[in-house]
Amino acid sequence: MITEVQDKNIARFGVLFSEFEEQLNGQKQVSAHNFRSKAAERLATLSFPTRRDEDYKYTSFARLLNQDYTFPVEAEISQEILDSIRIPGEEAIELVFVNGLFDESQSKLDHLPKGLTITTIEKALEDEATKGFAEKHLNENASTDNPFVVLNTTFAEGGVFIHVAKNAIIDRPIHFIQYNTATEQPFMFHPQRIVEVEQGGQLKIIDSFSAAEGAVYFANVVNVFHVHANAHVFHYKLQDESETAFQVNNTTAFQEKDSTYTNLALDLGGRIVRNNLNAIHQGENITSNLYGAFNINGDQHVDHQTFIDHAIPNCQSNELYKGVLDGKSNGVFNGKVMVRRDAQKTNAYQQNAALVLSDKATMDSKPQLEIYADDVKCSHGATIGQLDQASMFYLKSRGMSEKMAREALQHAFLIEVLEQINNEAIQQRAEAMLYHKFGK
Amino acid sequence: MLSIKNLKVAVEDQPILKGINLDIKPGEVHAIMGPNGSGKSTLANVLAGREEYEVTEGSIEYLGQDLLDLEVDERAQAGVFMAFQYPVEIPGVNTATFLKQVIGSIREARGEEELSAPDMLKLIREKAKMVGVDQSFLRRSLNEGFSGGEKKRNEMLQMALLEPKLAILDETDSGLDIDALRIVSDAVNQMRAKDRSFIIVTHYQRLLNYITPDHVHVIYQGRIVKSGDKNLALELEDKGYDWIKEEVETVA
Repeated sequence: MITEVQDKNIARFGVLFSEFEEQLNGQKQVSAHNFRSKAAERLATLSFPTRRDEDYKYTSFARLLNQDYTFPVEAEISQEILDSIRIPGEEAIELVFVNGLFDESQSKLDHLPKGLTITTIEKALEDEATKGFAEKHLNENASTDNPFVVLNTTFAEGGVFIHVAKNAIIDRPIHFIQYNTATEQPFMFHPQRIVEVEQGGQLKIIDSFSAAEGAVYFANVVNVFHVHANAHVFHYKLQDESETAFQVNNTTAFQEKDSTYTNLALDLGGRIVRNNLNAIHQGENITSNLYGAFNINGDQHVDHQTFIDHAIPNCQSNELYKGVLDGKSNGVFNGKVMVRRDAQKTNAYQQNAALVLSDKATMDSKPQLEIYADDVKCSHGATIGQLDQASMFYLKSRGMSEKMAREALQHAFLIEVLEQINNEAIQQRAEAMLYHKFGK
Repeated sequence: MLSIKNLKVAVEDQPILKGINLDIKPGEVHAIMGPNGSGKSTLANVLAGREEYEVTEGSIEYLGQDLLDLEVDERAQAGVFMAFQYPVEIPGVNTATFLKQVIGSIREARGEEELSAPDMLKLIREKAKMVGVDQSFLRRSLNEGFSGGEKKRNEMLQMALLEPKLAILDETDSGLDIDALRIVSDAVNQMRAKDRSFIIVTHYQRLLNYITPDHVHVIYQGRIVKSGDKNLALELEDKGYDWIKEEVETVA
């Protein structure tokens, strides 16, 4: 088969895919590979977005795509680093990945609570009970327009499949600990998670991304959540990667009636970070909470692209995104809210605020509300400001140094977001990460 | 303790203080009075280190140091405390956390031993009780949604915790009802000590019924035009400021 590939970066990933297939040997026969092949074919027909594309106007992926990526190189994580990422006081179920590769010996998957299944997507495809569901989502991921999701499906290996049974309340959080080391050549990895929470179930996920200083890699994450009726999912991303790392994080939550999906992203590291977050409403009385906090400097770039599709009446969405930008950093918030004609009595709130601390830092904020129903409450606001000088003076007049006062006000600005974490230990970990970032 | 010599201050090139001379000895309480716009709050702000005020001439010596050479935080660490006329609301800064941080940094700067967390908490509770600040306020954001009186009490709490050598109260009494006024004056009276001085800037004589000043100065048109003891304050209460204005204008 000869496909003419237009995008040189797509072509490079095509070459990498051939290498990848050669390494697989016998595993080419497994059903999971069908989806990779299908995705690879699809990828060849796509091109990566440029700043000419409206949804990517403020983020250039050139630097991310121009790296000469290899496949992940095995490495170890020290106990000290592992402990520093763990949440003190939480008996988390832990899945440890080093350079994108699953480290079973460091993971804690024993004695899973009743009603919780954690397996690989490969295994979920072989199990009659989960096969249909997994196939449906993999097919979608292999054929979507988003080249990053298709790219993920092309290379994903050992993806994680999580199932929460009906009415199972999983108190222990699932903690994905993703740690990356500095390697000779930049590498890429493609975490893939499919999560299904049955009716009345509840699940909390912590998604930690950390790295050694100077580590250069591309983490291209895809999460699919199916949150059934009256189920509740809390998903917290705590990211303090190296400032040379790239991350594209694609998350879609399909929500049934009476369900809640809460996503909170704390981004402190990364050279270019793009979060694509979609909440798709499939029933009434759904709540989607999308929150983001970032604190960046230097050449860092963090971009939040959210999309909430209100298709059904009586649902609500809350969005709060706040960022602190110093140095030459850039922040982007593009919040799309679609309220379809039938989605009466929708409540949609969106707020985006930024503190821009230097002349060279920029924040682009673009709320996009498309409302076709007439009986709805929708609001949005965007503010961009600087540290309040009166507050600075007040704090310094009490003996706080300039640095301490600046940190106190930045913390104060972002805490409104971090307080949305409904777990004290996780919130404290997030705050500790923020203070660590101040020290840099 | 504090020696102000020929202090001239301008705001946006507009002269406000036109040559202030003032000597304060350890343990003294000085009241600075004067009509609106006379420059009394400017004096307080210059002492605290607000940048918008440009010192064009003169000097301020504080405990042997050039006060004007010290940064705002260094002044606080050296024992200067200003109770603000309008304490700023800072959402997201937890009051208790803030108090612990400032006690910590002040103690560190003064070379004092670090307080343990329980000792710190005990100290804050004790002083909060003294100035009538309810425990629930400590859990709230700094000054956010506090009433005027609550904000002023919070200022007194910070003063009690930071144990300054020179405390400046900038119209702390304005807008206070009599109960709140008593709390403020009780705090000052309890803290009066032979090595601690106070500058009380006020528009009204009423506060001085509760805090007896050693000296009273009247500022008018950027100068101290009259100094005396507490009786001067009583005279001002009776006669208002007009007779002083007339005196100044006759001399001129």
